[in-house]
Parts: sequence; C-alpha cells; structure tokens
Amino acid sequence: MTQSWVRSIVGIVAFFVVLIVGINLTGSIDFTPDPNTGLIAAGNTLVTVLIVAMLVGLVAYAATEYGQTRRFDSITSQFDTRTIVLIPIAIAINIILGQTVAAVLKVPIYLDSIGTILVGVLAGPIAGALTGALANLIWTYVLPAPFHSDYAAPFFIVAVEIGLVAGIFGRLGFFRSRPNTSIERLAVGGAIVVAIVAIIGIYGFLPFYSGGDITFFAPQAAGAPAPDTLFVILGWVVGVLLVGAVVGLLALLFVRRDLGAAYVFLAGLLCGIVSAVISAPISTVFFGGVTGSGTDLLVATFQKAGSDLGTAVLQQGLLSDPIDKTLTFFVVFAILGALSRRFVARFPQGEKAVGLMEG
Amino acid sequence: MAPPAPSAYHRLNPLTKAVAATVESLGAFVIGGYLGPLAIIGLAILPAAVLAGVAGRLVRISALLTLPIAISVVLVSVFTRAGATVLFAIGPFDATLEGVDFAGQTLVRLFAISTSIGLFGLTTEPRSFVLDLERRSLSPRFAFVALATLEAVPAMVERSSVIASAQRARGLDTEGSVRARLRGLLPLVGPVILSSLTEVEERSLALEVRAFGRPGRRQLLWRLPDSRLQLIARLLMLAALLAAIAMRVAGTFPRLP
Amino acid sequence: MLQLTGVTYRYAGYAKPVLHDVDLRLEDGEIVGLVGPNEAGKSTLCLVASGLAPASIGGDLKGSLTLDGTPAAGLRTHELAARVVVGFQNPNTQRSGIAATVFEEIALGPMNLGLPVAETVARTHEAIARLRLEPLVEHDPQRLSGGQAQLVGIASLLAMRPRHVILDEPTAQLDPAGTRLVGEALRALAEAGTSLLIAEHKTDLLDGLCGRVVVIDGGRIVMDGPTATVFDDPRLHELGVEPPARARLARALVDRGLERSMVTAALAQGLGA
Repeated sequence: MTQSWVRSIVGIVAFFVVLIVGINLTGSIDFTPDPNTGLIAAGNTLVTVLIVAMLVGLVAYAATEYGQTRRFDSITSQFDTRTIVLIPIAIAINIILGQTVAAVLKVPIYLDSIGTILVGVLAGPIAGALTGALANLIWTYVLPAPFHSDYAAPFFIVAVEIGLVAGIFGRLGFFRSRPNTSIERLAVGGAIVVAIVAIIGIYGFLPFYSGGDITFFAPQAAGAPAPDTLFVILGWVVGVLLVGAVVGLLALLFVRRDLGAAYVFLAGLLCGIVSAVISAPISTVFFGGVTGSGTDLLVATFQKAGSDLGTAVLQQGLLSDPIDKTLTFFVVFAILGALSRRFVARFPQGEKAVGLMEG
Repeated sequence: MAPPAPSAYHRLNPLTKAVAATVESLGAFVIGGYLGPLAIIGLAILPAAVLAGVAGRLVRISALLTLPIAISVVLVSVFTRAGATVLFAIGPFDATLEGVDFAGQTLVRLFAISTSIGLFGLTTEPRSFVLDLERRSLSPRFAFVALATLEAVPAMVERSSVIASAQRARGLDTEGSVRARLRGLLPLVGPVILSSLTEVEERSLALEVRAFGRPGRRQLLWRLPDSRLQLIARLLMLAALLAAIAMRVAGTFPRLP
Repeated sequence: MLQLTGVTYRYAGYAKPVLHDVDLRLEDGEIVGLVGPNEAGKSTLCLVASGLAPASIGGDLKGSLTLDGTPAAGLRTHELAARVVVGFQNPNTQRSGIAATVFEEIALGPMNLGLPVAETVARTHEAIARLRLEPLVEHDPQRLSGGQAQLVGIASLLAMRPRHVILDEPTAQLDPAGTRLVGEALRALAEAGTSLLIAEHKTDLLDGLCGRVVVIDGGRIVMDGPTATVFDDPRLHELGVEPPARARLARALVDRGLERSMVTAALAQGLGA
C-alpha cells in the first residue's frame, strides 16, 4: 500500500516540478493578446507546459513502479477487456448527454463528462484520462454528423484532467455511499463543507473577482465610483447560487443520511475549479473565449469591467464549471448506486470505489 | 468495403486528409491575421472541396455551425473589448475598431477550422480512417474503442427512442415546454444509461471468447491505398506547420494583415 | 477432451458456491446435453467449463479444468479462446459492435488470433457455409432479426475452429428451420472431432442431437448417462425438466399397457433415430 503512495507522490512531484520550471523558463503568464493576431502567446505555452508536465509525471510514476515491481501492473490492469468495452459506452454517454442537455437547457451545464468520470471511478485515473482524451478527439475527428463537434478536440486536455481527478477521488473512496450516518457525523461533515466553501469563497473568489471596477460586497473606499448595477446584481446572483448550493447539500445530507454526498460535493467542487483553470486558456487561444452559449454574455461583461480576455474567460469558467462538475459528480454517484455491486466489483477499481460488500 | 469513392480527393489515404485538416486548422491560427486563414481557405480548402465535389455542402454546413459562435464573437469582441477608436455606441456598449478587427480575425479563423475539419469529415469514411491507423500500428484496442464508439452513439440514440416510445405508451409526456421535456428526459436517461452499462459485462465476456485480449497485432482484412507522393506531401505539410510554429514562438514570423 | 474434476465454484463477492463437486468429461466428437431446472447452475457450469470463470470474472474455483491434458488454471483468456468457446443466449451482447458486415463479424475471431489473411478468410467462409449464411454476408450485423443474429453469433464462434464448443441455449431465438440448421451444423462439427456441451430447455433438440445428457440440480450433477436413459427417467419431471416429446409419448403408451420394447421400436421407426 505504501508503495503505491510513493509512486503517486513521485508522479505528482514530477508534474509540479516540470510545471514550475516550464512556467519560469517561458516567462511569466501574460494574458494580454498580441495585437496582430489576437493570440495570447502565453496561453499556447501554458498548455504546452501542462501537457509536458503531465507526461513527465506519468513517466515518473511508471518508472517508479517499474523500479519497485519490474512491471506496469497498476497502469495496464486499468485496461482489461471490461474497461475497453466500457469506454465506448462512456464516450457515447458523454456525447449524447452533452448534446441533448445543451440543446434542452440554455445554461452552461454541459454534463458531458459523465462517462469520463464513470470510467475514472470504476477503472482508475489513467483509464479515465484516456477516456476523456479519446472522447474529445473522436467527437471531432471520427464521428460524422449529426454527432460531430468541431470544437471538442482542443479541450481534450481538460477531459484528461477530469478523468484523472475522478479516478483519484474514486480510488480514495470519495464516491462511496455512506448511508445511515449518525446525526453527529453528518453535522461535522456539513460543517466541514461549509467551512471549505466559505474559505474558498472569501479568500479565493472574492478578491479575484473584485479587481478593477467590480466590487461585490466590499465596502466602497471613499471617493471610489459606485459599482455598476450589473455587477451588483451579478454579485448577488453568485452569492445566492453559492449559498443555495450549500443549503441544498446540507438538506441532502440530512434527508438521505448519506455522508457520501458531502464527499461527492467537495470532489466535484475541486474538479470544477481545476477544470475552469485549465480550460480558460484553451478557450481563449483557440476560440477567442467564445462558446456560442449564454455564458459569452458573462465573458463580455467581465471584459467590459476591465479584465483582459483570458481573465474574463477564467472568471466566467470559475462560476459555471464548479456547478457543472458538482452536478455531474452527483449524477455519477447516483448511477453507481443504481448499478449492482456484482457488476461494479468486476472492474479494476470497482471495489475501492464503491466499498466492500457486507457479508 | 466502402462504396466507390466519387473523386480523387476522396480516394486519398485518410491519414493524408487528416494531416491536411490538422495543418490547415492549426496553420490558420498560427499565421493569424486575415490573410493567413483566408489564403488557407481559398488556396487549399476550397479547391480541394471543389475537386471532391462537396464545396457547396461544405460551405453551407460550416456557415451553419459557425453562426451561433459568430453572434457571440461579435458580442464579446466588438462591444466589450477595450480599444481606442470608438466606431459607434449602443447604450453603454462601445463598438471599437480594435474590437471589430479582433472579431473579424476570430471569425475567419473559426471558419477555417470548421471548413478544414468539415472537408475531412465529408470525404472520409470514419471506419476506414480507424482501420488504416490500426494498420499503421495503432493498438487494436484503441481501434476497437474508436470503432465501437461509432456504433455506440447511434445505437444509444435508437435505444433512447425505443424506450421513449415505450414510456410514451405508458403516458409519459415528451413534448411541450422545456420543463416538461426535462421532466420527461430524466426517466428516459436512467434506463438508457443503466441498460447500456449492464450489457458491458456480457459483451466483454463474448469478446474475450473471441480472443480479444490477445496482445500483439492482427492481420487486417483491409488495406487502403497509399503512395510515396502522399507520404511526402504529409511530411511537407507537417514540416511547414512546425516551421510556422517555431517562427511564431521565436517571434520572427512576419506580420501579415 | 475437456475434463472438469471436483469443481466447486463461488462467484466473487458471494458467500455460497454455486457449483458443488462437479465432475464432467467431454470426449472428442461427443455431443453432451446439459439440462436442469432454472437457477440450477447451467450457465455457471458453462462459464467454468470455458475457463472464463475464474480467468475473466474472478471468483473462487476449487478442483480443476483440463483441456486436452493442459490445465486451464494458468491460461489467459485469449489462450483459452483458441481451444474452447462459449456462446451465450442474448444475440445482442454476442455482437462485437465494430463490424460493418456479417462477414467482418464472423472474421473477427480468427483475425484476433493473429492469423494470416488467407487463413482468416478461409475459416470465415467455412463457418458461413456451415450455417448457410451466404445470403446475409453483406448485411449490417445490427440490422439482423433475432434468429439471424443468433446464427451469426454461433458462426462467429465456429470460425475460431475450437476443439470444444459450449453453447448456452443456442436456439432460444430460432424457429424450427433454424434449430434444424444449427443441429446439422453441430453434428457435422462433432463428426470432425469437436466436443460439444449444449445447455438447453428444448429437450427435443437434445434428444436428436446428443449421445449423452447430464442433469444438474442445485449445483450438483444428479444424472449423467446416455440420452435415452436419462430422458426416460421419471425423476426428470420431479426436477422440473420437461422430457422430450418422444419420451413423454413413450411413457404415456407404456402406462396404457403397451410393451416398452415395442414402443421404443415403433417410435424409432416412426420418428427417425
């Protein structure tokens, strides 16, 4: 057991080392666009650095495993026939749900990663990562109309990250149903979630969004211009959504008595934040920050407030992605609950993900 | 295996067409500006499309797909992008010259991406592409995933409509307002996803019985034509793209309108 | 020869074994029928006899499976696939999902074995001929009727040229013509030396096809003998297995006082051997 921790740590450390070295080598992250082409040069390099860092991390992980056991079992075992058969179904779920939901609802809830996350949880992080990558690439390069998407391919990096994150959380048991938890433990769990959300909100979100002309709740400095009504409304909307989400989670916890919901909530939140950070430069660089949906209005608004394109896209993403991913994680949680234990246990990571059967 | 190909472009090896699409899309935005993407569209994509006899369809489909994004691009770039020269104003929103310029360039770039990939899609059978890749040493398992997804997606749609009919027969509402459709969607999504997933077990057993898990390559029944000329063309295109990227990163790329 | 010795098998994650101390022997060229009430363990026995349990689905196996002298214990699933195949009831899950035509579908097994193209094509044609599937060769496997899909599924297995064939209700979706077709094909296989185990409810089919019948109940083999002997045994009815028409007719006639040997002779002449 410690062996696999060592491997994972080596991989993660390698990833961050390369990431930091890479960013330093290529200069600071500058999101201002080149006036000639509108390209954001740093976006390109950031994404490249991320990919290289990921690959190096994976190689470091594999090399450590080889050094420990002379085999690559933890990686290859994630790809037994069952997983290989599951992946196309997972990709199909991604695409059909992604297109249907986007068509029916006009909000930035895509729900197009359900399959990726399912594979990650059942088979492992690398299988999940591969599913994500293949899903996006096949969506663009292989599928014919009407299931085709011209825009999915560059986002395969985000899909890889989602699969990895889901796989890791699955392995750590974050998707386990924990029914009949005592009220005390539920209260503790709920309190922890509220605390974490509050910390992220106050120390992470608010300062990020309050630069320039946007002030949400901060008291106005003397002589500062009054904030635009638009932003005040936006601020309140965000506040309500956030509070509503937390209240919803607490309600879920106490009604269903399943502490697992708290774990799933946190995992989804984290995944959403990371996804937003990674997809922002891709969206900016490849598509000018535009997706053809209502969120573009938000991007426009943030730009108006003084953010450059890259930051505006990130600001928009940090609002919609955590919601999308948390919802998606809950959907996967529900699906896992509906699948029979016997089915799940036959997958490489199934038992770890769902917990051992009683008796 | 495939129906007789209508044109010389269709008959090109799928890898060549894929490389062309990738080089064209990436090239369009590495070069940037207006001239670059327009040149690529005018000198590479459209002539090929005309040769393949799909020019009309290609332009129509790409325009349709790019339209929703175009609207957003205008909104995001024209009206809210910081810029010096204001052209006109609508309420609090100023349309700047820089904004219009940026919007124009983004649109042109998007159209280039859309047409280049669209051309590939209209002239290539996806199955042939995947099988050709397997012949070039793509793992049979990757090939399986790609091919199976090709079938899985329409199959799942069909399964949904079958289940939807059954549910409609039992009185579930599938028409009507967004809320009604959403409510109708939920009980549909569950059975479709679950039944697809539970089949995975028996399907994987059936595949293992047919030696699916065997490591190593297979001798494929199909072989798509390729030629030295195409190989050289692919390498040249990739080299050109890499050179352009290198120049862009080094900052030595000439400024183009 | 396929040999199960003292096999007790428990599914992964379950407390109780489903098979208890099963001994079964399939000689080359033998066709053995497998009958039993529902939930008796027929499908599990098929999985164990093919080696998929535990090689693919895990679980705990006591006792042994031997294929032509080689123990199956260490073999990987693709190594098992070269020797023994098992077919399941649902033609939808038997389909690979990646073949554009029936020909490609049937050719998949031999291709996966890494055989040269000429060999793959030859085996595919052979399997197609055995089940008279020539008219369907260019059809889309997803657009076949249930019966056609089942025939294609069986042909896909036969194309592997296995030494042992195990079939779990292979005629579930077939009409009488299709059932006859499958029966002929299986008989021809046996004559060529393949050993076959067929789990079925349709005892009439087994009656005409099998030399031997094995009855399983509650995970144990309770009867194992020549077809006529087993099917004439009154215990069959108590176990919930319906004997073939011939046996029921013979019983009815004997009960009315006709002499058994005369009944047997008359039925043999009238219904064919």
